[in-house]
This record gives sequence, structure tokens and C-alpha cells, in this order.
Amino acid sequence: MFVKRYLIPRLLQYFLVIFLGITIVFFIPRFAPTNPVQRTISEIRSRGTYLNPADVEQMVADLTRLYGLEGSWGEQYIEFWRKLFKGDFGISFFQFPTPVIELIKTALPWTVGLLFTTTVLSWVIGNIIGGIAGYRNNRLWSRILDGVVMFIRPLPYYIFALGLLILLAYVFRLFPISGGASIGRLPSFTLSYILDVLKHAFLPALSLVVLGAASWFQASKLIVQNVNAEDFVQYAQLGGIKERKIMFKYVIRNAMLPQITNLALSLGQILSGALITEIVFSYPGLGNLLFSAINTGDYNLIMGITALSIVAITTLVLMIDLLYPLFDPRIKYK
Amino acid sequence: MDNNTVLVTENIKSYYVLDVGGSKKVVKAVDDVNLTIRKNEIYGIAGESGCGKTTLMKTLYALMNPPLRFMGGKVIYYRDDQEIDILSLSKEERRKLRWEYIAYIPQGAMSIFNPVIKLKETYRDFLDSHLSGKTRDEIFEIAREHIKELGLPIKVLEAYPHQLSGGMRQRVAIALAGLLKPAVIFADEPTTALDVVVQRGVVQLLKDIQESLKNTIILVTHDMGIHANISDRMAIMYAGKIIEEAETKEIFYNPLHPYTRFLINSLPKFGDKGVRASAPGNPPSLANLPTGCPFHPRCPEKTDICTREVPELVQTGEEHKTACWLVSKGDE
Repeated sequence: MFVKRYLIPRLLQYFLVIFLGITIVFFIPRFAPTNPVQRTISEIRSRGTYLNPADVEQMVADLTRLYGLEGSWGEQYIEFWRKLFKGDFGISFFQFPTPVIELIKTALPWTVGLLFTTTVLSWVIGNIIGGIAGYRNNRLWSRILDGVVMFIRPLPYYIFALGLLILLAYVFRLFPISGGASIGRLPSFTLSYILDVLKHAFLPALSLVVLGAASWFQASKLIVQNVNAEDFVQYAQLGGIKERKIMFKYVIRNAMLPQITNLALSLGQILSGALITEIVFSYPGLGNLLFSAINTGDYNLIMGITALSIVAITTLVLMIDLLYPLFDPRIKYK
Repeated sequence: MDNNTVLVTENIKSYYVLDVGGSKKVVKAVDDVNLTIRKNEIYGIAGESGCGKTTLMKTLYALMNPPLRFMGGKVIYYRDDQEIDILSLSKEERRKLRWEYIAYIPQGAMSIFNPVIKLKETYRDFLDSHLSGKTRDEIFEIAREHIKELGLPIKVLEAYPHQLSGGMRQRVAIALAGLLKPAVIFADEPTTALDVVVQRGVVQLLKDIQESLKNTIILVTHDMGIHANISDRMAIMYAGKIIEEAETKEIFYNPLHPYTRFLINSLPKFGDKGVRASAPGNPPSLANLPTGCPFHPRCPEKTDICTREVPELVQTGEEHKTACWLVSKGDE
């Protein structure tokens, strides 16, 4: 019953969304005014190389083929899907001739490592503290915390990150000023390398967690205050159930439900990278890669990264949909 | 105080203090109420919507959340010859008193259970918070025993609240109230929003619990039929005050207050096809009470004094008290 009535239509929808998303991503850069072939050639010319016209024509033909720009859009489109199923996004234009998949493979661990950790961490911290502060909203500490968060939360991320960097890496030299690891160190599974990575990740992570947790805090506090007024919370109080139990099992447990959906959506956004973080802390990652790709009209790279994030977001939404009945027994698929 | 008494209130006042655009608005929901409630009885409180019944219950249960404020008086429970002033207890003492000594069946059981946990978990939370040194399995065993004794289907414990009907949820709420054998159970409109067949089952369950625990049930409902069925003694509330109190039979056969008479006369009777008369007009706003007897604008028998002075609740017979100038004038 569940499989036929719910799972199969839901899976079909899942694939349809991915298909449409990737199709749109294929066509949009083709409407952009930059021509990558001309750009590459003018780049070579700008270095002062003399090219004779015959060679130029040959190069145009070669590049067009390499970039998958041969033939009509229809033909390109079919070719694009054929290659996609082999995990081949073509080669990058702006870091010619590295394959796109290689570039993504290098950037992905940094982005996922940093953003997955910070997204989950800020969700947990923000929700728990926000929940407790919402339940005890007449306490002094709760009101002070509320004021502090109200101050932190609207700070522009760029300013906040820069402030942290100046304070903790320049004025007090506690953390490295830039990079994902010390220059010249090769990735390895040794303790000292991992510690080095963590040390470099600390400031970017701190900037993301503080602002992220602040916004989860506010959302969670608001939801909790609404749940507080629910009949079942009042009933638990009438029954003399212990405060801690009411707070966690009755109030926060119920307030978490909408936040679970929001967490899934934020996790899906990870694969677009965190551009400003990467710029401020010179941190390697997908954000920078995507930014350069857009700037240089690098179709293949744009498509590689966006296709990946489309798959990630839709997959996470599907997972949450399927897992939701575990969190909320009122939801049941038949 | 004889040792047959379980609860006494002295001139309790509970007002809602609202801040409306800078000016204070005071709603006198419970005003100067004196009650003496005995062990082993079902005490009914009747009255129209908005006359302060639920506020009275909340006051007796010491459940005051702003804007409701306790303005004066005393609520005393007698527990093993010990006087307990519930409003002066510490938070933790009050928490312990609840469910062990006094329990509450709130209005509208549709949404009183945590929607994301099974009912056995709700049972566990109630038991856990009041009994110490019990394992999980022992607690579930107590819950199963309790459900079985009351003749409810055992599978409700494994159900989530949304899987049960409204009547079943109400029954579970009633069952839960009797869980720790409290001396007093407050039941606030336990039959509202249920059809008459289910109402009967719910009333029977209340009665069964009272008979087996030999405790006191304070039953609030506007449904006079239910009072006639199970209340031993009852009070009629009007505009935040008790206006008549007597044994239920006495109230039905010999109502003295004109308002009570309206309530009784509006009940349908077998074989009588005449048109039922109701009290004319609407109950007064508790924020803006008329002078004198609050009922006088609707009273067909009002006299001069009714518009000027508030009548006291006085003895008008054995076990019968009335607050009406028509009755108390004779004493002057």
C-alpha cells in the first residue's frame, strides 16, 4: 500500500525534479553573452602568442568539441545526458584542461566538511538554547540572551567574519589567517594533519556557527513560546509532571518538528558552498569554484556544481519526507 | 471544622487584570466565594458560560497564570488532619500535591495529550513524576492494571492520541485523574463536545471512580441534566458568585433564587409539550457589573433593594443557602 500509493509516485516526482532542474541548468548558461571558445582564444592571444588564422580555426573546432558545443542545442543536450550518466561533466574551461569532476572532487571535502559540521552544530545549539530560553522566557538570563542574539543576528556576515579574523588571527594570533591547511602540507591521515585542518577551520566555522545558531535560536524560541500555550503543555503542568520533562519531552520535542524540515533544506544548500566565508578566510571550497565558473562562463563547471546541488537538495527533501513519520506519528503515508 | 471536610475556601477573589490601551480593566471572574466541600461527595457547580466556573476551578487548583490574579482569600485543603493552604505552598510542594492529592480533568480533552508520544508514555510521565524507585516495566504494569480495572481497552496505551476518538480521549483523561487515588478530582466540563451516548459512558466512568476511591469530585458543567444524575450537592454560579447552594434534590425541587428557577424550568420534561422559558437577556459582562444584585436586570421579581445592594449568601433552610433579597428579606 505504502509503496504503490506513496513511494512510487514520490520517487517519480523525485526524478522528474532532478531531470527538469538539470535541463534548466543546461540551457541557462547557453543564453549568457559569454562565448567560452572565443574567450579561451583571446586569452591565449593576450599572452602575446602569434596565431595564424588556420591554427585559430583548428583551435576553435577543437575547443568547441571539447566543450561539448558541437552541433545544435538539441544534439548538445543529448550528448550532455549521455556523458552525465558516466559521471563525466566534461572539462573545465577556466582551468583547462582539468576535468570538472576532478575540480569538484578537490573542493567538495572542504565544503562538506566545514558546512555540514557548522550547519548541524548551529542547528543543535540554536534549537536547544532557543528552546530552553523560550520555555523559561520570563527568566532574566533568557531575556539577556534574547537581547544579545537580537544584536548579533542582523550583523552582516561579511563584517562579522572579518571582525573575527582581525581579532583572533591578527590582533591575538590564536588561529591561522587563511587557507584550509598549512601551505605545503600534503593531505594525510595523521593526527598532526587533522589538527592542522581543524585549526584552520576553526574561525570560518565559528563565524558560521555563531550567526547560524543565532537565527535558529530566534526561530526556535518563537515556536516554543507558541507550543507553551498548547493544551497538552498546560495539562502536563496540571499533572505535576517534572519541569525538565515538560520542557524537553513536551515543549521542545514538539517545537523541533518544523525545524527538522528547515534543517534538511539548509543541508541541501551546502553544495552551493559558502562564498563569502571562502573569500574572507581564503578557504578552499565549492563557493569559490562556482563563483569563478560563473565569471568565466565555464558551462561545464557550472553545470557540474549545480547538478550536484540539485541532486543533493532533492535527495535530502525526499529523505526527510520518508523519515518524517518517525518524528511525528500523526504523519503517515498510505 | 469537622473531619468530614476536605476543602474550605474563604472569600476567594480571582480577577483577570487586563491592560487595555493603558487603562486597567478588571474582570471579577470569582468574587467572594465561600465553599465547604466534604469528603466522599460529588459537588456540582453550574452556571452559564462566562460566569466564572472554570476560573473558580483554576483558583482551587492554584493554577494562576497572568492575566489571572489571585486577589485575596484562602483555599485550605485538609489532608490527614493537616491544613494545607495551597496558595502559600512552594512550587515543588504544589507540584507534588497535584495528582497525588488533587487531580484535574481539563476542558476539551481533544488536545490535552502530547501528540508525538504514545499514551503509555504520558502515563509513564505522570507516574514517574510522583512515584520514585520504579522501573520502566513496573510503571507500564501499573498503567495496564489501572486501565484494565476501569474497563477501558488495553490497547489505548499503545496508541497515539490522534488515533483515539474524542470520547475515548476524554475517558483516558478521567482515568488518568484517578491514577494516584487523589482525594479531590476537579472535572471541568467533562462531557462538553461529546454526543449523549458517549456522555453517558463518561459520566458513568466518573461515578465509578468516585465510588471506588470514595473521594470528592468537583464537577463543573452547565448541563443541569448531568448534575441531576450524579451530583450530591451543587452550587449555582452567576457573575462570579455563588448564588445558591443546596443538595441537588433540593435545588431541583425547591429552587429559591429566580435564576435557579429559570435554569430548572428550561429543562425539557417527559410529557410536557409546553414552550420552555429561558432567563431573558444575557449574562452581564464581568468587567462591568450592574450595581446591587448582578441578576437584577434580568430578574422578573426585582425590588428596589435589588438594584442597590448585593445580597449575601445566607442560610435559607437546612443545607440550603441562597443569595437573593426575595428570600433573605424575611429575616430582617
